[in-house]
Amino acid sequence: MHRMLAKMILVLAVGTSVQDFEKRIAEYGKLRQSAEAQLPHLKPTDSPEAIAQREHAFAQAIRGAREDARQGDIFTPEIAAEFRRMLGDAMRGLRGARVEKSLQHAEPNALKLHINESYPAGVPLQSTPPTILSSLPKLPKQLEYRIAGRDLVLLDVDANLVIDYIVGAIPE
Amino acid sequence: MKRLVRLVLAASIFFAANGELKLPLKSKSVRFAVIGDSGTGAKPQYEVGAQMEKYHASFPFEFAIMLGDNLYGGERESDFLKKFEAPYKGLLDAGVKFYASLGNHDKPNERFYKPFNMGGQRYYTFKNGDAQFFALDSNYVDPEQLSWLVKQLAESHASWKICFFHHPLYSDGKFHGPDTDLRARLEPIFEANGVSAVFSGHEHVYERIKPQHGIYYFVLGSAGELRLHGLKPSEDMAKGFDTDQAFILVEIAEDILYFQTISRAGETIDSGALPKLGTTPGSTQ
Repeated sequence: MHRMLAKMILVLAVGTSVQDFEKRIAEYGKLRQSAEAQLPHLKPTDSPEAIAQREHAFAQAIRGAREDARQGDIFTPEIAAEFRRMLGDAMRGLRGARVEKSLQHAEPNALKLHINESYPAGVPLQSTPPTILSSLPKLPKQLEYRIAGRDLVLLDVDANLVIDYIVGAIPE
Repeated sequence: MKRLVRLVLAASIFFAANGELKLPLKSKSVRFAVIGDSGTGAKPQYEVGAQMEKYHASFPFEFAIMLGDNLYGGERESDFLKKFEAPYKGLLDAGVKFYASLGNHDKPNERFYKPFNMGGQRYYTFKNGDAQFFALDSNYVDPEQLSWLVKQLAESHASWKICFFHHPLYSDGKFHGPDTDLRARLEPIFEANGVSAVFSGHEHVYERIKPQHGIYYFVLGSAGELRLHGLKPSEDMAKGFDTDQAFILVEIAEDILYFQTISRAGETIDSGALPKLGTTPGSTQ
């Protein structure tokens, strides 16, 4: 009886954290959309400079719109705890061994992360193992879960901007 | 005697540099080149580019696929020029189209660079003759990309379904080795949907793997970078080459995939004719 009750409480807590995360992502999405509305639409171009300028301008617009952003605004302590639990599950057993091997395969980078800063130029993007991606809540296509060392990063792809992160999210 | 040695040496250099084409040049065949981990902007990349151009004269391939790490380091305009446009200028001027996939050293916004023919997409597909190509973003294989792949493969009626992406599912490279998590997700999809061949990079060597689950696997991560003696061959490896940069030429005609792997010096290091598995036995040399 107690075990069942504990399980129900866990399910409710998980649901609440994930819903809260999705709400925060949706809020970021609105902010992002208004930042993007100020910029010309990017189409394939022969000009690398036009691509770089657009990325820079987009990043600036987002930074301006969330200049007070802090680490933990999206990954609140409750959400971060839930993500650690989900990642812990993904890293268990044989599947976990496979993911760990994949992480080592991906040229791991330990970076000092900063909110609202660009992912550093010239530093390879560590790939995110598919098992991890299928274990976490779905993101809109403009955002990605990235791994830097053992940290989980929420990256705005088109703006190449660090939106939030959880330090040491991937269990050793 | 010294003179004779010099003569033989000169003859062998001439032969290597003017290497024999081992592809059949059949009519209506699909012809393409393969490069991976190319974007260093250093001399060896240019030398591979020059060799490709030389072979293009006798084997006029229509396009080239890029297996990721298209640009190392920065991505300023000068980087695109030095690490892509200049080394392949002759080929670009001849109308060869380049189709890129993203490596871990590539910024995702490369997808907007028109000469990479990605159409603004991180993963995409295109057809040429009897073959359909599927460029994947192996940096980020999320459930959406997997669903897209299943749908595209299922809808394809091409005789040859060819996937290319950066991280290899099989590799005997000492530095990275295979990506087993990626393999666990992708290979069942490939197998269930009739993928015949897979090209990957990431490991800075050349490898042809013995067919796995009815699929041919090639690793070519040495069109610019090179990890000298970077291979530790296992029984899965059919052929490996880790002492010079290289590229592959491929010709697909009916049920056969012909390939020729050529080093920066112009030497043919591997070649063969691979039948679509499930058809007739093939030969390689």
